[in-house]
Amino acid sequence: MTAAASTHSGFRFRQPQTIGLLAALLILAVAPHLMPNSYWLRVYSMIGIYVMLALGLNVVAGFAGLLDLAYVAFFGIGGYTFALLSSAQFDIHLPFAAALPAAAIVTMLCGFLLGLTSIRLRGDYLAIVTLAFAQIFKLLLLNLDRPVNITGGVNGIYGFDAITIFGWRIISPMHYAYLIWAAALLVIIAAARFKSSRYGRGWEALREDELAAAAMGINTTWMKLAAFAGGALIAGGTGALFASFQDSVFPNNFDFPQLVVVYCMVILGGLGNIPGVVCGAVLLTILPEFLREYGAYRMMSYGLILVALMILRPQGLLSELPFLRKRMARPDKDASGRLKSSTDLYYGAAQTPPEASGGHQPDAAGTLAMAAPVREPQPILRLEGLTRNFGGLTALSNLDLTLYEGEILSVIGPNGAGKTTLFNLISGIYPPSRGSIKLYGDDITGAKPYQVARAGVARTFQNLRLFNNMSVLDNVRVGCFSRTRSGPLSILLNLPGQRREERETEARAKAILGIFGGRLTGYRFDQPVSALSYANRRRTEIARALSSEPRILLLDEPAAGMNPQETIEITQFIRTLRDRYGHTILLIEHKLGVVRSISDRVAVLDYGCKIAEGHYDEIVNNPQVIEAYLGRRKS
Amino acid sequence: MDFILDQLPQQLVNGLTLGGVYALIAIGYSMVYGILTMLNFAHGEVYMIGGFSGWWVLHLLSRNHTPLINAAALIILMIAGGMAVSGLLGVLVERVAYRPLRAAPRLNLLLSALGVSIFLQNLVLNYQGAKVRAFHVAGLVPPSLQVIRIGPVVFSFMRVLVIVVCFCLMALLAYLVKNTRAGKAMRATAEDIEAAAFMGVDVDRIITLVFLIGSALGGAAGVLVGLLFTQVDYYVGFQAGLKGFTAAVLGGIGNLYGAMLGGLLLGLAEALAVTFFSATYKDVVAFVILIAVLLIRPQGLLGNREPEKV
Repeated sequence: MTAAASTHSGFRFRQPQTIGLLAALLILAVAPHLMPNSYWLRVYSMIGIYVMLALGLNVVAGFAGLLDLAYVAFFGIGGYTFALLSSAQFDIHLPFAAALPAAAIVTMLCGFLLGLTSIRLRGDYLAIVTLAFAQIFKLLLLNLDRPVNITGGVNGIYGFDAITIFGWRIISPMHYAYLIWAAALLVIIAAARFKSSRYGRGWEALREDELAAAAMGINTTWMKLAAFAGGALIAGGTGALFASFQDSVFPNNFDFPQLVVVYCMVILGGLGNIPGVVCGAVLLTILPEFLREYGAYRMMSYGLILVALMILRPQGLLSELPFLRKRMARPDKDASGRLKSSTDLYYGAAQTPPEASGGHQPDAAGTLAMAAPVREPQPILRLEGLTRNFGGLTALSNLDLTLYEGEILSVIGPNGAGKTTLFNLISGIYPPSRGSIKLYGDDITGAKPYQVARAGVARTFQNLRLFNNMSVLDNVRVGCFSRTRSGPLSILLNLPGQRREERETEARAKAILGIFGGRLTGYRFDQPVSALSYANRRRTEIARALSSEPRILLLDEPAAGMNPQETIEITQFIRTLRDRYGHTILLIEHKLGVVRSISDRVAVLDYGCKIAEGHYDEIVNNPQVIEAYLGRRKS
Repeated sequence: MDFILDQLPQQLVNGLTLGGVYALIAIGYSMVYGILTMLNFAHGEVYMIGGFSGWWVLHLLSRNHTPLINAAALIILMIAGGMAVSGLLGVLVERVAYRPLRAAPRLNLLLSALGVSIFLQNLVLNYQGAKVRAFHVAGLVPPSLQVIRIGPVVFSFMRVLVIVVCFCLMALLAYLVKNTRAGKAMRATAEDIEAAAFMGVDVDRIITLVFLIGSALGGAAGVLVGLLFTQVDYYVGFQAGLKGFTAAVLGGIGNLYGAMLGGLLLGLAEALAVTFFSATYKDVVAFVILIAVLLIRPQGLLGNREPEKV
């Protein structure tokens, strides 16, 4: 695909997206006229409002997994801001084209500020703080009519200026129906674009495993704030539209039950699933209209829906339906339909060099193969006097260690010797108590995990920390996060730069997964990681680390839990990483066979201290090392 | 200023009463959190239903606002009734809505708890209506004891009752947890649920017991508040739940004594806020404390912080 063709790819017919968009436009053009009466026209508009609200909540709770119970307050902030800016309340009469963005932006700022609390809190704590915020907001709405009348108390604010957009006066319910659904369509498109962008993947990674996401170069603080702000922006804009549509705002419009309704929509559709959430919003707005006489049981049934869904179908009613699932290729079947074994695939694919398996994206595969190993050993990572205490326990004490470019240095030692602590210090998960870490002469002591990843140090985890519900390909794409640049605006507008970056990310991720022969390619791309074998998960984790273009790879027990055949394979593979791709590797490994066959040097830790360093043959004869592993001979 | 100083001792007594109630509610959050590390959103509703149960006992055993049986016995029956209903309800909720989700992601468990809370609140709304139920307690208190006056401070009988009952229940719980076999099993389960199971503790039974005790204390708090403020409605659980949670977090969630301390401190803080600011924003004070504690010392006053194991 050439660059020239891709820039004109916005409107290609026969693309399912384009057809879908045209169909949606057609339905939206006709639908308001099909409503039997003005009551149903109103319901139709309210569906649009709820679709937007649910999609905004889906950004915070669905994509990023943050249980934000102040969401309805953002809806209210948008509504009230609009009310104050275009009514007689303070005699400010901004035009709609200014008042709506102003309301949305004010709300976004509030979302950003509330998001600041989420930096230190997660899960239940975040839920309760946001719930408290929502309560404070409601108290303020009810009580800020004295001494100065701001919110109008229980009576709210009503009678807004008639709105005009591009010279069209929006007065009749029919106008509003078009306006609201046009906005809803924009929100749907924006949500879909974000979901399939680096931001969407970053949020999903954050939801799955915050620590691993940070270690892959994602600034988790920023991403959380972005989720809060994004959700609030949508809620605020929707609030303004709703206020204008209703021509009034009351505290009750923005109360807790409203929040529950929106949550039910999102969960019914499936957290994070955009078509599902839209269907959830449509369903839960229409259904109560048919069940009017059971109105008293409405909220009760919402409670039951939540509990039942969580127990029976936590992925939502509309997720993972067989006919909605993308049909996956099964390249591991030969022409007769017989399954090929994965070993056949591996050795079959190994005939062709991995660069070629990247195929028609020479640039992406080309960046993979970095400079050939440098002959002159250059120090790349230098640890000086590194110490870490946990309370009274010194996990690592005064460690000096230098890693030279292009070498494989193994760290061994008995359990509890401080090996994983060393990795955690280098990758920024804990700050060291004392000492310094220098990467290429730059001091990275105390840097955050995402900064360390960006500086070019990637790691794997001893106990595997993959994003289990994401696909293999997406796991690896997350690794590209720190090497891509697209901001919210370019994602929103789907600018050419963003499109090119997405293509490159995909090509790169596929090329990296191709290194493992046929083991992680083809139908594996779209499989969730949780469906993989243990060995394949270890491989995926290495692939994810590789995709962040690291200069140094920290591998924490890559051969743990592998059978002898797999161990031989992974050992050869690690050597390939150095020999062919020029990575410098720091390795923790308990299997001494692996250590012996690939290490240039070995460092031995015991009780947090380095007791030996040198070539494998030297250290295995070192009496201190023998004592640490086998104990002292009885004298 | 004189006005404030005159009011201060009185407000301290009020704070102590309120604090005792918050502590009882907080214990329920804290015990459940200690074992399942989940926030039981439905706890406020359990408290509210406890209050309603107390009201029903009072309603059934009195005619024209005068008790049919001995007043002391009636008060005891009310508290026992509230505790029994709430305790069983807590166990039922755990069984139906939480146990199937024990291995599920935390977000799912939280949403399930939120669902239970909404369900219970609206269940009561549908069957009791939105109107406030009044506790007619005048007949329960002998006229000579209606008001107890010490210097400038006025103790109503009910305040004394609430303080005494709260502290007795807390002392009883502390004894149970510290000195009995079940208490030991509870502490072990809170420390490490799997290790406790391997040591032969029937973890499911302990969790049931924790929900029973925590919810029963919540129910007792509901009845006591009903006696004190002489009313209950379907919506009280929401606020009380938030306050109880705030108290639990303030003291260090998962820590029993922390919950007691947090409850008392929160009650006093609110009473002082009423004295120095205004009653309108009393609730804001609690939430500001909550947010401040979470940001400055998330482990609470008596809690320990555990570093995440990588």
